[in-house]
Amino acid sequence: MSDQETHASYLDPEVMQKSGNLELIAREVVEGLRVGSHRSQLRGFSTEFAHHRQYAPGDALRTLDWRVYGRTDRYYTKLYEAETNFDCYLLLDASASMSYASGKVSKLEYAKFLAASLAYLVLKQRDSVGISIFDSEVRAYQPPRSSMSVILQIEKLLRDIKPVPRTSLAKQLHDVALMMKRRSLVVVISDLLADVDDVLAGLEHLRFDGHNVVVFHTLDPYELEFPFQGAWCFEGLESEEPLTTQAERIREDYLVSLKEYLEAIRNGCLASQVDYTTVDTSRPLGDVLGEFFHKRQETFGGPSAGEHG
Amino acid sequence: MTFLNPLILLGALGIGLPILAHLINRQQIRRTDWAAMQFLNRSVRVRSRQIRLRDILLLLLRCLALLLLVFALARPASNNEDRVRVLGEQRAGVIIAVDGSFSMTHSEDNATRFERAIEKVKIIAGEVTRGAPVSLVLLGGEHRIVLRNVAYDDERFAEVLADLRPAPQVMDFNSIPQSLEMLVQDMDAPQKEVYLVTDTQATDWGDVSVPTLDAMRSLAEQASFFLIPVTGNDDNLAVTGLDLVSGTLRNGAVARYRATVHNFGRKPALDVEVRCRVEGVQIDSKRITVISPGTSQTVSLFVPFYNAGPMRITAEISEDKLTADNVRHVVAVVRDTVAVLCIDGSGGAVSKLAMAGLLARAGDVSGAGIRSGGEEGYQVETVQWPSVPGKPFDAYDVVILADVPEITQQQSRDLLDFVRQGNGLIWFAGENVKASEWNRVSDNGGKALLPATLGAVVDASDDLGVGKPLAPTLPDHAICRPLRSLPEDLLTETRFLKRMQVELAAASVPVLSLAGTNAPLLLEHSVGRGQVCMFTTSAHTVWNNMALTPVFPMLLQQVVTYMVGREFEQPRIVGDSLSLFYVDQPDASDAVFDTPSKKTIAVPVSEHRNQFLAMLEKSEESGFYTARVSIQTPGMPVAVNVDTRESDVACLDQEELQKCLQGTGITVTDDDADLMADISVARTGRSYWRLFMIIALCLLIAESLFADRLQRRKQSCEDTRPSWTLKQENA
Repeated sequence: MSDQETHASYLDPEVMQKSGNLELIAREVVEGLRVGSHRSQLRGFSTEFAHHRQYAPGDALRTLDWRVYGRTDRYYTKLYEAETNFDCYLLLDASASMSYASGKVSKLEYAKFLAASLAYLVLKQRDSVGISIFDSEVRAYQPPRSSMSVILQIEKLLRDIKPVPRTSLAKQLHDVALMMKRRSLVVVISDLLADVDDVLAGLEHLRFDGHNVVVFHTLDPYELEFPFQGAWCFEGLESEEPLTTQAERIREDYLVSLKEYLEAIRNGCLASQVDYTTVDTSRPLGDVLGEFFHKRQETFGGPSAGEHG
Repeated sequence: MTFLNPLILLGALGIGLPILAHLINRQQIRRTDWAAMQFLNRSVRVRSRQIRLRDILLLLLRCLALLLLVFALARPASNNEDRVRVLGEQRAGVIIAVDGSFSMTHSEDNATRFERAIEKVKIIAGEVTRGAPVSLVLLGGEHRIVLRNVAYDDERFAEVLADLRPAPQVMDFNSIPQSLEMLVQDMDAPQKEVYLVTDTQATDWGDVSVPTLDAMRSLAEQASFFLIPVTGNDDNLAVTGLDLVSGTLRNGAVARYRATVHNFGRKPALDVEVRCRVEGVQIDSKRITVISPGTSQTVSLFVPFYNAGPMRITAEISEDKLTADNVRHVVAVVRDTVAVLCIDGSGGAVSKLAMAGLLARAGDVSGAGIRSGGEEGYQVETVQWPSVPGKPFDAYDVVILADVPEITQQQSRDLLDFVRQGNGLIWFAGENVKASEWNRVSDNGGKALLPATLGAVVDASDDLGVGKPLAPTLPDHAICRPLRSLPEDLLTETRFLKRMQVELAAASVPVLSLAGTNAPLLLEHSVGRGQVCMFTTSAHTVWNNMALTPVFPMLLQQVVTYMVGREFEQPRIVGDSLSLFYVDQPDASDAVFDTPSKKTIAVPVSEHRNQFLAMLEKSEESGFYTARVSIQTPGMPVAVNVDTRESDVACLDQEELQKCLQGTGITVTDDDADLMADISVARTGRSYWRLFMIIALCLLIAESLFADRLQRRKQSCEDTRPSWTLKQENA
């Protein structure tokens, strides 16, 4: 079995769930990502460009700006703000709806793996990672740190939280935004199951504060395809009224509603220059991240809307 | 409302199945936590409620359709219920019985009774609803069910009606109610009607037995029973008999036949000509000047035989309204000669008398082994006992045992086989007969050779010592016929002084008896295809003076003629079986019977009690059948006559019928308009199965379309895959 295949199998969500060690998972995800990155030229997050600096011996050749050299015949190195002082906030939705799992891995668990992987990636770049976990309110907040213990903090924070139904996403994002001292990369990992306007208002708030916002819209495959057959009683995780019905007969209506909702979210994100990605929790995490970074590199760190599900 | 098949209503329990399926389905609701409840929004919830309503509607449709289907199959019907009368269709099961006996061929005003009966049936059929159950029976000796409980189709019914023909049979009157009741019970209809179209012959309807009346009453309780008389006048002459009276059936001889003509009408018949034909050629004709009403007249017809072989003889009258009984048929097998073996145990005296009797002259008998005769058609051979044993009998037609003291067991068996093959044995008592020995050897393991057990010789003389005469009342036996034409004084001159006491076997028939005591003088019984005649007296003059009177030769010749006759010479009645016996196992597996109407019927040969025979189970025509061992071989004719019990065509009128059938519930209607009115009044039954069936089918179609629509919708939902899924698959 090749290394890539080993990683691929290990990065399967169910295998990750059995593993239990979040740091190990994160490392495996990211290292697996890097194994493939030799060819794909992945370099992690590219944040805002800061300025040029004249090349000094010891600088990596890859940072040379060859275009400037072509025009001026001088060596300059590109410097990015993130590289100077990069803060990444991972906003993890831990509301009751995130606990849904059609298979063995719930959306929340998947989000946890995703957050850990991202944290690991950021920390490996020697940048700082902050964590905020919210449901109906902000349950936990961890300021940015550059220590690997952050990954363990994610686990610990989640363990202490008892999910409750979410009321408004905008409020939570607003509250989190208040806690951020400077412009940062804000990664929102949520199923966004709330009113579209409310969701977009929250994201726009972050954007208006000057943050670079990335949204991982985490959805279960059953939520995406609604493959139920026969008579089912759907009991809402967020205290909605249950519905008993012949699932296959309402599937069409469900999918229409879902499609409208996703279109609205996607369009809203694009309009707000929020980097939006739909994540199917049945997919291997490595694939999801790989595709995400690949797309991000294509757009040079600009906003994009992707589907990794 | 009633149900013709009420047990099918149990099928309504099946309504529980869709309900059960629905309930089970409801019990099988699976539960799941669900995050994306916001997409199961109001419109989805409304739609879900609609689906539930549709499911309930579908369930109701299924249940209702099933219920109606069960109702339809249970054949709902009502009788005169005005509330639901409009919805149902008028429907009655009709059973039409037409008299098909030959009295129905009696013609009047250029139309037979049967033709008029068919017109009545057409009127009845005109009132039958298309598709209603109909049975049609042709009544006769055996009632033939032409149509049994079929859906009425006017064209098919007309075709069947056109093919109906009366048969030359006597109607089995007493079995009519049972046959019709069987058909009534076999029929599923809200109302049942029975129409009996008959000529109401006085012989049947004039004296209906109590059981038959009860059966008719029972039938009228189960169905509306209409009796439709098709009457006519009672004029009819019939040839009721044609019998061989005297003479011998030998080539060159003349036989006298007696034809009997009966006048069944109420007017005297004048100048009736009776013609006799042999093989279709008229050879004699006699005229009867007058036949009084209800009486018979006989004429003698002399038939000369110019050739040997089977002869078809008919006696016929003409100009009569009922033709079926105007002719009588009989077959005579004419022989060139009859070989007779006389075994004499008296020393020659008896055999001499017997030969003289047969040849009607004094025979030249002087010792054993004498062969004589030929002129009279007899070849008589006489042997003296006991030199007989071991001699084969196949060369003879008749064996006479005269005063033979005893025979061996083997001889007894040989004689038994000889008779069984269709030959004759004549046994005379005598002084030398050892009764105990005969009783011992005659038994043959339960198959007795002689028709009686022998006893002691007793004196039969009267007080004057002149012997007793024959009993004056002679039975109507073929052997007695010539004696019946003798003057009474000749019969009384024959005196019997001695006789042997006998004890009759079960199957034996006394032919001649002694006056006063009724002690049998001549007995007969059948063994296989032959007969054994036993005289309890001797031919010797010591025992009687029979040999000195004309009685003995007449009697002996008649006995021999009777014995050499074959079973097919006996006339049959229409409906009787016809048999063809084989001496040995035949090569062909089928025998062939040609009917008088020139149809050919193949009949398989079967083995019965070590004999091979082909039996046509039922003769259906009158005339001459021809039985052949195979299609290439010459045939042997068999005469079949009509039963003249049907010849009395006098009918009861409507008033007499009503009186006769009073209290039975039978409606007697002979007028066409009255008949239609009676049918209209009586027919109140309505059937609803078609209505229920149509509604059930409509519901089933609606349910099917509805379910199909839902299924298509479901299918289209399943086919709709979200765009992101497709993208992923493409990737």
